[in-house]
Amino acid sequence: MSMSIPHFYRPVLLFALLVWVFSCTLSDFEDLELAERDAEYAFPLFQTSLNLKDLMDEVLNDTLPGDTILVNADGTMTLIYSGDLVSKPALDLFNFFPDTLIPLTDSLAELPLDEIPNSIRVDRVDFSGGTIALVAFNSWTDSVDLTVTIPQMLKNGQAFEVGTKLAPSQFYFGPTIPIAGYVLAPTNNNLVARYVAVDKNGTRVKLEPFFPNPEIDGVALDLDKPAFSYMQGYWGYEVYPLTEDTIEIDLNQTDLEGEVYITDPKVTFTVANSWGFPTRLLIEKMVFVGRNGQEIPLQTTALDSGALDLAYPSFAAGEVGQTKFTKIFFDKNNSNIDDIFNAQPVQLIYDIDGIANVEQDPDVTGFITDSSVVDLLVSVELLLEGSALNFGAEQTVELNFGEYDDLDTANITAVEFKLVTENEMPISSDLQIYFLDDQEQVLDSLFLDGPQTMLRAAPVDNNGVAMGVERTETFIPMSTARFNRIRTSPKAQLLTYFTTAQGGQVPVKLIATQDAVVKMGLRISTRF
Amino acid sequence: MRAILFAGLSLLTGTVLKAQQELMFYQMPEYWHANALNPAFFPQDRTVQIGLPGYGLDAWNSGDITFDDFLDRDGDKLYLDFSKLIQELEPENDFIADQRLETVSLGLRLKGGFYASFAHAVRAHGVVVYPKGLPQILWEGNGGPDFLGQTVEVAPIVRGFGWHEIRLGLAKDLGKWTVGGHVNVISGLAALESDQSRRTATVFTDPDIYQLTLKADYGFWSSNIVESIDTFELGYRVKFVDDFNSADLFSNTGVSFNLGAQYRINEQLSVSASILDIGGNLSWKNNSYYFSTKGEYLYEGDIIDGKELIQGSDSIDLDDGLDTLNDVFAFSRSDGSFSSAIPTRYYAGVQYQLGADWAVNATVFHQQSSLVSQTAVGLGLRWTPLYWLSLGANYGINTRSAANVGFHLGVRPGPVQFYFASDNLLTLFQPYASPQVNVRTGLSLAFGKPRT
Repeated sequence: MSMSIPHFYRPVLLFALLVWVFSCTLSDFEDLELAERDAEYAFPLFQTSLNLKDLMDEVLNDTLPGDTILVNADGTMTLIYSGDLVSKPALDLFNFFPDTLIPLTDSLAELPLDEIPNSIRVDRVDFSGGTIALVAFNSWTDSVDLTVTIPQMLKNGQAFEVGTKLAPSQFYFGPTIPIAGYVLAPTNNNLVARYVAVDKNGTRVKLEPFFPNPEIDGVALDLDKPAFSYMQGYWGYEVYPLTEDTIEIDLNQTDLEGEVYITDPKVTFTVANSWGFPTRLLIEKMVFVGRNGQEIPLQTTALDSGALDLAYPSFAAGEVGQTKFTKIFFDKNNSNIDDIFNAQPVQLIYDIDGIANVEQDPDVTGFITDSSVVDLLVSVELLLEGSALNFGAEQTVELNFGEYDDLDTANITAVEFKLVTENEMPISSDLQIYFLDDQEQVLDSLFLDGPQTMLRAAPVDNNGVAMGVERTETFIPMSTARFNRIRTSPKAQLLTYFTTAQGGQVPVKLIATQDAVVKMGLRISTRF
Repeated sequence: MRAILFAGLSLLTGTVLKAQQELMFYQMPEYWHANALNPAFFPQDRTVQIGLPGYGLDAWNSGDITFDDFLDRDGDKLYLDFSKLIQELEPENDFIADQRLETVSLGLRLKGGFYASFAHAVRAHGVVVYPKGLPQILWEGNGGPDFLGQTVEVAPIVRGFGWHEIRLGLAKDLGKWTVGGHVNVISGLAALESDQSRRTATVFTDPDIYQLTLKADYGFWSSNIVESIDTFELGYRVKFVDDFNSADLFSNTGVSFNLGAQYRINEQLSVSASILDIGGNLSWKNNSYYFSTKGEYLYEGDIIDGKELIQGSDSIDLDDGLDTLNDVFAFSRSDGSFSSAIPTRYYAGVQYQLGADWAVNATVFHQQSSLVSQTAVGLGLRWTPLYWLSLGANYGINTRSAANVGFHLGVRPGPVQFYFASDNLLTLFQPYASPQVNVRTGLSLAFGKPRT
């Protein structure tokens, strides 16, 4: 069988065949475009680890300069706040030697130390500073030789002595003589001074008062800025006001809200005493002012009628210069300090007197030095065990979304944040974040329905110790419009409300090594 | 030329290709271009053969992936859509392509039963072994349920190269036997080849807060394609070689051989076989570099110091972190010559003539490659209603599928020879629904009747 096709058809047939084969394929790809597609992209945003000790350091100690958190052997933490409440130097009460002009009304004059109270007998004073100057007026028409001696004021075995030659009718104010190194030994708070004035014939004369000012005796000693390093004598019974003051207490940040209950706080008052005679403190008033303004007096069985006898350095035992400590403890067993601290005290008002030699022992030799002081120190130990309900904290931070700030969201159809916490602490936390503009006006919030629980407390055992890790996942879907507002926000206000385990109903122990990991990721759905 | 070649290579790496199977065309020895498949083939009815351009492409992806799986049509507009394709991919997929462009050739029947030939062709071979995760993560992102908590391998293995081939052939008619051979002078154009000892790149998205763990130990060689790879934003900027010139044509040379034989048992029955590209090995020296990256990077978002935050740090900055990604995964470049083995192909065929117009045939094809090997078997039927017209059909089984129906058309009006053959008929009638692109077409001229 054979067929024939005209020759001129043959090239046409070939051409048509080629066109048919290739036209249906190659031309179609010229304007090939990507089809619309749905895609999801997921990536992490941030993560951080919050350590409980750091958190407690900040929350509890924010404004206290003298505080430490002591990590106990079992990992529990004790907040120790210590500070000086009162410091009373002995010189504030027992400085009996003011600047004065001591008149020598006769050639042998008694000089009573009038500044010394009757209850005190000074037997020895070691001067460490100051000067004495001789003041005299020669009321005679001839010159006079004058010598003044204080036999009870010795230095290296030599009595204090000063002299001069006075011209007729001369008023004399002599040079100052340092008295440091002299030891004064009064007798029953009295001194004796003697002056000898001799005329040109060797006859003793008496110098009359300065006639322009009869108030000025003919002979006097000008005592200027006397200072002593040591005073010894007898301190008899005497009550004197020691200190009265109001001090501020700031154990919590003032802007925290909510209820905090602290279990078994311990307060230690320590008196550091270097006064060398028996002293009893008499606490007339010690009232704490709670956060809500209520006054809570300290009630305790640790003090006998509010009195506290201080240990003191003994002269008889050779303890001059030493400091003796007296401690008294207040806890829930001997006081209402528990109630006081759970009222979150903000003030302490106190009035304390001192009683010297309350036993009126006549044989006690006492002393003070220029550095003798009674210091009242307070130490607060808070074992971080307790409960909290909606204990709030607030912080405003600046935000920088970086690359996300410039993100083209035209193709974003949905956004979902994923907030994950892994919590070892027996504390739960509700969180709300407000996103702010430059003027701190609220642009949006993370949660539309108020704060959400984003950190669930780890379960606790019977001792209030957290066991294991509690993981909380919170998904936060968000429209593109809201995401656009948030990602351009320059600031965020974080509001956190802490509650301890089991709804704040049981005390929990806070362990220093407990952490809470907070991390967030972002999943974006797109349609390109 | 280089741009075309690279486009071809890109096509190999970006769509669907595999070794060049030409079952139908192998059974068309009367067309001059078939000499490329068996040096013993020489059209019996002409003395001078002038080969004009011919083109062959055999490309396919493992599985039954078709154009329709990633092309969507909306009116006259065609869109690339990988959604359906991704669902049909295996965890690891092969994409293979062979392309041949015959430019010019000449065949002469000489005295004494000798046949001489000369031919030039531009050929390309490409294999991409790619994990499903690569297109999936590019198309769907990393946030879907398939990726959270999963380590996704995204590194492809790529072997693609193109070369010039100048064939010098000689065959001898020994009566019932005809034997022949080609010496192929080959000159590499460009190549891209993965280092199979360093072929890891994984992405792990932690379901926790989507922390990303990226690991890479990946290397590849390039010749005349990639000049440099610089990090750019969160990706790379690739600079291609732009100083390629014709002088470089002979920089990467080699030699390969083709051997073939045909045995005519009787008037009706003949058998033939050939081995092609024997010893083909291209040594790449010109503009040859080795690029590699190795690193591991865990991106956890911004790490904010908790203590500072507690102590009143007044800012949260989410701008850090990802910038270091580029430092970790920067590609380093070193000079590095390498070689590419051209896969050796094997053909064997038998043809039985049923009267004047009809013939049946069978063909076996095998291509050996270190990456992907391919075997195909075909049974064909030819009808030659006119001396200048040939039509044929073929049923083939290959590595990809057991359902391939081929077709050929050959016309020889006067001195002109035109042929079109495809081992997969769907390529013609439903090109978008065809899982394999297999075409071979070309033109040639034949002159002179041999003396009997």
